[in-house]
Amino acid sequence: MLFHTLPFLLYMAVVAPGFYALRRTPFWLPWLLAASYFFYGWWNPWYLLLVVYSTGLDFLLVLLMDHCPARGEPCTPRRDRTLRWALAAFGGSAAALAVVAVAGPAALRPTLIAFTVLVGLMAVGATLADRRMWLFISLFNNLFLLLFFKYARFVAENLNAALAALGSPVMMPDPASLTPPGWEYLLPVGISFFTFQSMSYTIDFYLGRVERERSLLRFATFVCFFPQLMAGPIERARHMLPQFRQAQPFRPANLTDGLSLFLVGLFKKLALANYLSLYVERVYADPASFPSQDLLLATFAFAWQIFFDFSGYTDMARGVAKIIGFDLALNFRNPYTATGLGDFWQRWHISLSSWFRDYVYIPLGGSRGGKAATYRNLFITFLVSGIWHGANWTFAIWGVMHALGVIATRELERSPFYLHRVPRLVKQAGVFAYVCVAWVFFRAADVPQALLILRRMFAGPMTLSAAPGLMLALIGCVWLYQFLYESRLRPLLTAAPLRVGLAAGMLVYLALCSSGGGAFIYFQF
Amino acid sequence: MSEAATPDPRSAASEPPFGVNEMRLTGRHWLVVAAMVLAFVALAPLLWARLERFEPGPEYRVPYTLSADYWLYQRRLAAVPADAIPVVGDSVVWGEYVRADGSLSRFLSREAGLPGRFANCGIDGVFPLAIEGLLSHYGGALRSRKALLQCNMLWMSSPRSDLSSDKEETFNHTSLVPQRFGAVPCYRADAAARLGAAVARSVGFFGWVNHLNSRYFEQTSLPRWTLQEDGDLPAHPNAWRLPGPPLSLYEPASDPQRGPGSRRHRPWSAGGRSPQSFEWVGLDASLQWAAFRRTVALLRERGCDAMVVVGPFNEPMVAPEQRPRFRAMRDGIADWLQRSGVAHVVPETLPSALYADASHPLTEGYAELARRLWQDEEFRTWAVR
Repeated sequence: MLFHTLPFLLYMAVVAPGFYALRRTPFWLPWLLAASYFFYGWWNPWYLLLVVYSTGLDFLLVLLMDHCPARGEPCTPRRDRTLRWALAAFGGSAAALAVVAVAGPAALRPTLIAFTVLVGLMAVGATLADRRMWLFISLFNNLFLLLFFKYARFVAENLNAALAALGSPVMMPDPASLTPPGWEYLLPVGISFFTFQSMSYTIDFYLGRVERERSLLRFATFVCFFPQLMAGPIERARHMLPQFRQAQPFRPANLTDGLSLFLVGLFKKLALANYLSLYVERVYADPASFPSQDLLLATFAFAWQIFFDFSGYTDMARGVAKIIGFDLALNFRNPYTATGLGDFWQRWHISLSSWFRDYVYIPLGGSRGGKAATYRNLFITFLVSGIWHGANWTFAIWGVMHALGVIATRELERSPFYLHRVPRLVKQAGVFAYVCVAWVFFRAADVPQALLILRRMFAGPMTLSAAPGLMLALIGCVWLYQFLYESRLRPLLTAAPLRVGLAAGMLVYLALCSSGGGAFIYFQF
Repeated sequence: MSEAATPDPRSAASEPPFGVNEMRLTGRHWLVVAAMVLAFVALAPLLWARLERFEPGPEYRVPYTLSADYWLYQRRLAAVPADAIPVVGDSVVWGEYVRADGSLSRFLSREAGLPGRFANCGIDGVFPLAIEGLLSHYGGALRSRKALLQCNMLWMSSPRSDLSSDKEETFNHTSLVPQRFGAVPCYRADAAARLGAAVARSVGFFGWVNHLNSRYFEQTSLPRWTLQEDGDLPAHPNAWRLPGPPLSLYEPASDPQRGPGSRRHRPWSAGGRSPQSFEWVGLDASLQWAAFRRTVALLRERGCDAMVVVGPFNEPMVAPEQRPRFRAMRDGIADWLQRSGVAHVVPETLPSALYADASHPLTEGYAELARRLWQDEEFRTWAVR
């Protein structure tokens, strides 16, 4: 169910009033959870099993972690009653699973072996009574899910290519052959988002940043809260869990604010992103037949398409959450007005950038170990961030390009010359140009195509062809708006007549010229 | 615990910023926005109808390229003079192989001796399920007046034509058919498409938007139209093109696809085709026949004095062993109309050489059909009273 479709409108017409009707009863949270599961199950009811499994396991792991000595305290294995029960249960289950895996149907063997390993690890965790073990199991489980559903085929294909080049007769099986019979090997929508959100809870609990959530219902709602389930923002437990402790009273301002956010997101998606995609798709489908300036324009258009698409989704998600009284984090702050690459990453997909900062960059040592270590940590963080986006070398290269860009300009961006002498517009243009070049890898089907596009962009033929005027005019308007917002003229934008006129104009434009549906780009991640 | 006594878990300091675009509207702002948008939605189509000249002549029919422009069809029905009789139906009424001056309505008017007495209100590509939707949602002007409705048995000639097949099919005018899941088994649109179609046909504004897209932007939206290819190689977008040359609300003066001079306008047997086997769907099970009956009921509810013409079907094109089945069905239709008190005519099959295919007559076929209808006492009495 997409936010910009009529079924979602009907869904909200039931969910929001139901939520407010139940907010004084104990049923508002189950209602929200049921609504979230329904929303997710609408795509494919089987995916729900994965969300429920991931939620249940992390809840259990943190519960068991809570029964272990805190960090710094000596380990006291088997003293805790819960851990003793856990040891018995997991030990027995692991043995039973191992027997079934050996003696049972061959088709189920890979799945059963995976579960045997997992439950066996849990038995070890209960024996050691060490919080690190539970954290390890949570990370192992979440990353395994992500690796299996998102990267297994990519890894298998690349390994097989390498093995074939070496003349090896051994081949990795296709991951589809490891799934139980009758199951399709598909990437579950939003898996990267809900696993990261769930993982952040276990890590934060381990680090003592959040209390253990004692209500499974509340935790499950946190993991699969429908506005942000599919594509973020990736929320943190300490921000969201308190909001699920008590239903907010109905406030008209929440409704009007939520609708305002939703309208802007809807316009970004339907009027802008979908429109730009028509041009981008045509050029990127056959880049060899387009001249240099068309490839430049298409890349420029893609930069805006992905911004409108993803920030539009986020705006709608925040709007929907706001309508029922919940606040989601800001995910974009006019990223194309950034004056440095570091600044860009504080404005683009903020919830993911901060996730990688907190759970990858800082644990690696952050900037505490000198310049070389800092650059190494930055490189690793951006590389992982690139790979997070998808199982393709193009994403890895995209991440590396940003890593190299940030490393190369880190010192420059902090220099007084850059800060005070370089005109702001020049800095913004430079950042935008670099980001656009990196987008080529993000958008291209594969590395050879990306290289072809870059080669033709900078050294290809220039022929006179008509420019997509409406597209450029729309982008120009948005850019002008963002520049005004970032300038001293911002008060102009707060004038009520302007806002009312813009809102009415957006609605009329949508009614007249909407480019139809289409899923969000980030759903594939 | 009361709400007032419970501290808000989110302090002002922890509340995330609203957004980055200042598009924050208050309740009062939203009311003004709603009023502005509603005014536009209500008034724009009305004003447009005044600005866009539309004066259909006696032989007017909705152009083929605007077949899905139901807003235009609405205007066409409203523009039928009070003393004229709209002839409603599919491509048989519209005249698939003939020019506008070779259609049934034109020859009926000639028989009546009054140009424009019968108005061509057919649409190319529709079928009974779509006609039902067309008249339900866009046929409000068809009220308390005579109407001639054509029943084409071709739509019951196979489960595929009847749309009762379980296999997914692609067909025209999907937005006019019932959108309930399962109502048309071979129609497999998702919930969003079905809801969209239901809303679009219920809100006149969207019909007008569709009219703009059909009429000025080559059946696509303005944004898509600006990025359409020129046809030159290498393909490139052309946004500088002005809207034009626009499709007219009227048919082109010459249409190489239709009329006696066209290659398509020739008897079905001239191509060496032989009689065909049809998988007739029984009247009890036919979705199209059920839709046709509902359409008749709708017209009667609206106070229309409806006359039904059953056929003309090209019976010689039906395989000999199937003809008894065909005749039984035709008699069944006539029987239902009789029992329901609906005036109807079942004209004799025309000479087979006057058909271009199973159901579409050629120009001379329409002339002959009109002559036969006019000779029918009941029909003539109905038409002149």
